[in-house]
Amino acid sequence: MIKPFILDKSVILERLGGDEEIYSMMLDMFLQDVDNNCAALQAAAASGDQALLQREAHTVKGLLATFSDDAGAAVAFTLEQQARAGRQAEAASLVTAVVARIGEVAGVLRGQSGG
Amino acid sequence: MHKVLIIDDSDINLTLIRALVLKLGECEPIMFEQPMKALEWCRENVPDLVIVDYMMPEMDGLRFIAAFRGLHGRTEIPVLMITANDQKDVRYEALLGGANDFLTKPIDRVEFSARVRNMLALRTGQKFLADRAAFLADKVDERTREIRERERELIFRISRAAEFRDPETGAHIQRMAHYSEIIARGLDLDAATCRLILQAAPMHDVGKIGIRDYILLKPGRLTPQEFEIMKRHAELGHELLKDSGSEIMQAGAEIALAHHEKYDGSGYPKGLKGQAIPLFGRIVAVADVFDALTSERPYKKAWALDDARRFLEEGRGKHFDPLCIEAFLAGWDEALEIHQRFRDDEAPAI
Repeated sequence: MIKPFILDKSVILERLGGDEEIYSMMLDMFLQDVDNNCAALQAAAASGDQALLQREAHTVKGLLATFSDDAGAAVAFTLEQQARAGRQAEAASLVTAVVARIGEVAGVLRGQSGG
Repeated sequence: MHKVLIIDDSDINLTLIRALVLKLGECEPIMFEQPMKALEWCRENVPDLVIVDYMMPEMDGLRFIAAFRGLHGRTEIPVLMITANDQKDVRYEALLGGANDFLTKPIDRVEFSARVRNMLALRTGQKFLADRAAFLADKVDERTREIRERERELIFRISRAAEFRDPETGAHIQRMAHYSEIIARGLDLDAATCRLILQAAPMHDVGKIGIRDYILLKPGRLTPQEFEIMKRHAELGHELLKDSGSEIMQAGAEIALAHHEKYDGSGYPKGLKGQAIPLFGRIVAVADVFDALTSERPYKKAWALDDARRFLEEGRGKHFDPLCIEAFLAGWDEALEIHQRFRDDEAPAI
């Protein structure tokens, strides 16, 4: 079980040089793309194309890391590795976990953005 | 304004990097989601910095860098590759493949700004050096041209000094130099060699400076003893010009020494035979004799051009190298044009 996502805005802002404008832009874009990213990840898993799944997992890992979700990024990284190794069954189970995590993070961020 | 090319298949990363690049100031971000399209853009445009993600569909960052470095003039342009912390093997490969530095995901603004600024400073330095190098190359070319021009003028004046003490004229050295060049071209010598003989041939008789006036300017026939002294002009010319640092002078020295050698070995000063006579000497022998025959002198009338031509043809393999005669006759029309262009009664142009 992954520990719940807690938004630490100060850490993210520090990484963005304290720039609130860039922070809000990133947040909006994440929320806009969240459905597409989840769909792309699921479609990749369903297709059986492990290289595609690896790439989608890599993208999600980056997105989660952008919002300092180290635990979520770690799961996405495991998925990336499993896909790379061609372990389809293990990868499939992780896809569900990653999609759930993206949803959780999006929920927290949505609360923050007032959306 | 620095052109910063950003290639990332993720929209959110493109937007973030673009925003960070704009914050740096003096930068124009150019963004592509697809590496192939970025590469196409790079064929026509030169970025000042490339920021490229590693993991992308259709072409990853490593392959992009390899293709980009393969484009003409793109080997030095700084490239930053974005990788995750866990991709150490990729980083090694990228370094070997031509990346200059890395950006770690998630992107940290302080690190990003410092690395991008460093890369842009490197690029500014490269451009400055390239501009400076081009400026200096232009200057060197200009100065070299001036020096060559002066060398050419000096050689012409030295050659004229000898001609002033001789019944032959300035127009003679112009004509025989051009005849020599026609022969050189007919022998398929390269352009630089043809130019060299054109510039060096005028010095063929420079050794006459060292021959006493009573022999040099004697209106009648020379006695055998006087002729022996006269023949020394070949070696005197060689003495005067040899060991010069100038390629033209060196060629002039060779020509001065060898232009009275004859193909059958009956010439002077060394009595060399056939191919043993330096090529420039064999060429100038034809040009010099032809011009002497077709020019008027106080002691003789000018030969008709066809008579002179016949003389050359008959001297093939005896006085002259047959190949040089063939080359000269192949350029006959051009030779006639030279004969017309440089007249004895006109002051020669320097």
